Amino acid sequence: MSAKIAIVGGGPSGCYTAQALLKRAPDLEVDVIDALPVPYGLVRYGVAADHQGTKGVARQFARLFTRQKAQFFGNLRVGEDISLDELRAAYDAVVLATGLSADRPLGIPGEDLPGVIGAGALTRALYEHPDATDLPHLGATPLVIGTGNVAIDVLRLLAKTPAELHGSDLGAGPSDWLAAQGIERITVIGRSPAAAARFSPVMVKELGELSRADIQVRHPAPEAEDALNLAAAASSGPLPIEFRFETRPLALEAIERGLRLTVETPEGEERIDASSVISAIGFTCDGRLDRAGLLAEAEDGTASRLYAAGWFRGGPTGAIPQCREEGQALAARILEEITPDPARPGRTLFAGREGIVDFDHWQQIDAQELAAAPDDRCRRKFARREDLLRPALPQDA
Amino acid sequence: MKIAIYYGTETGNAEMLAEDIATELEDAHETSVADLAETAPEALKAAELNVIVCSSYDDGDFPASAKPFVEKLNAESPDLSGVRFAIFGLGDSEYEATYGFGSMKLADLLVARGATTLGERIVHDAAGDDLPEDLALPWLAGILETA
Repeated sequence: MSAKIAIVGGGPSGCYTAQALLKRAPDLEVDVIDALPVPYGLVRYGVAADHQGTKGVARQFARLFTRQKAQFFGNLRVGEDISLDELRAAYDAVVLATGLSADRPLGIPGEDLPGVIGAGALTRALYEHPDATDLPHLGATPLVIGTGNVAIDVLRLLAKTPAELHGSDLGAGPSDWLAAQGIERITVIGRSPAAAARFSPVMVKELGELSRADIQVRHPAPEAEDALNLAAAASSGPLPIEFRFETRPLALEAIERGLRLTVETPEGEERIDASSVISAIGFTCDGRLDRAGLLAEAEDGTASRLYAAGWFRGGPTGAIPQCREEGQALAARILEEITPDPARPGRTLFAGREGIVDFDHWQQIDAQELAAAPDDRCRRKFARREDLLRPALPQDA
Repeated sequence: MKIAIYYGTETGNAEMLAEDIATELEDAHETSVADLAETAPEALKAAELNVIVCSSYDDGDFPASAKPFVEKLNAESPDLSGVRFAIFGLGDSEYEATYGFGSMKLADLLVARGATTLGERIVHDAAGDDLPEDLALPWLAGILETA
């Protein structure tokens, strides 16, 4: 008897969990539900446009639907288009893998001033997420708060020349926007000492290899071989990117031409003027689901038949390899704990519902996006939800 | 021929290619697929040909699932003379300085223990347009012709 499992969220955590479930038990009915009309979550909308190799895992995820018999139910937002309770009643188990989509607030006075933008909102706009806000004007001297990999992604894209974006899938609008920013200097601040920053050394090395970058470090790590010290020594381009560590933001205020950030440093308080502020200090739940309550229920999967995965479960750290590892462990646990009930309707719950798109729909969108790519890009994304939903053109029929 | 296929993977791409290779070969050969993480170096002596698919991760490091195998190779210093292997790398040319290092370092370690390479190690570029199986299957067919 095959159990029916719904996975809410078609990003890397949801897909790896589905993959591991079907590898262990190929007869399961695994359905991947996503609020967007397209699958893969942060692989499409979070992994940087110029990191196409990292996006290669999408080929594994496609096989979920083309070979492992998982089904994709896109454009279906749990909590709006269908309630979580309905879903839980219909499936033997529900896995919440919705991620954390909201930028964590800075928590300082002035955090909502115009010119303060979250890195999540910025990258959604850069990567043409259908719900993204417009790209902001950053001005000549943006300041980035945070020293994790998302911050480094933003820095790298801001520092790249148009030629260095060849082969990416950065859209025409975002590419023109980047070229028009006229950035002259970027300041990056982080609370931790340099040696404790969360970025991966490889990402910093990559930043230091850009033709325009000139990495500078205000409070260098003591070890000369530190990745940032090496990148600083190796880079000598025209765009200063200054890292300041042990620097804690205290308050933001509007000034005539931008924003003034007051920070606390080992040398005392300082003020840094910037044309805009990008906060890249992590992600939090957007509040659509009661995360704390659901996580508490998910602790006892046998009783609740509810499970949590990825960032929704553990918070906004961990990259694609961790999603795979955790997905495998979670799949083993689910298979141990669930008891299938043939009376549960599973995917027949969705029969006749309007607006849901399936994996065939995505394959047609995918083919059209690849075919429409200009010479210096590997893909041209449809940016608007209506284009992602538009019935596929009959050209491939 | 008895062909054992092993993979060293971080995100699962090498595992997928290993499975594709097994599917391609299974009609004509006796094949098996295993994760290097669950493989003892001595096990390579069992097959007439070992096909290894190995990626690179981070700064030219071994992928997570190859690490336990490499630790055993280093700690146990097994004599692998007589072992024949062909190795296919997965890499990302965005990280040019360490491109394909995982498969290169693994091949060097096996050769140092006495194993013999068949064919030339090639690396699929995740940043390129080719699909890994489109490179790996003809590569392996060429090796099997002479094996």
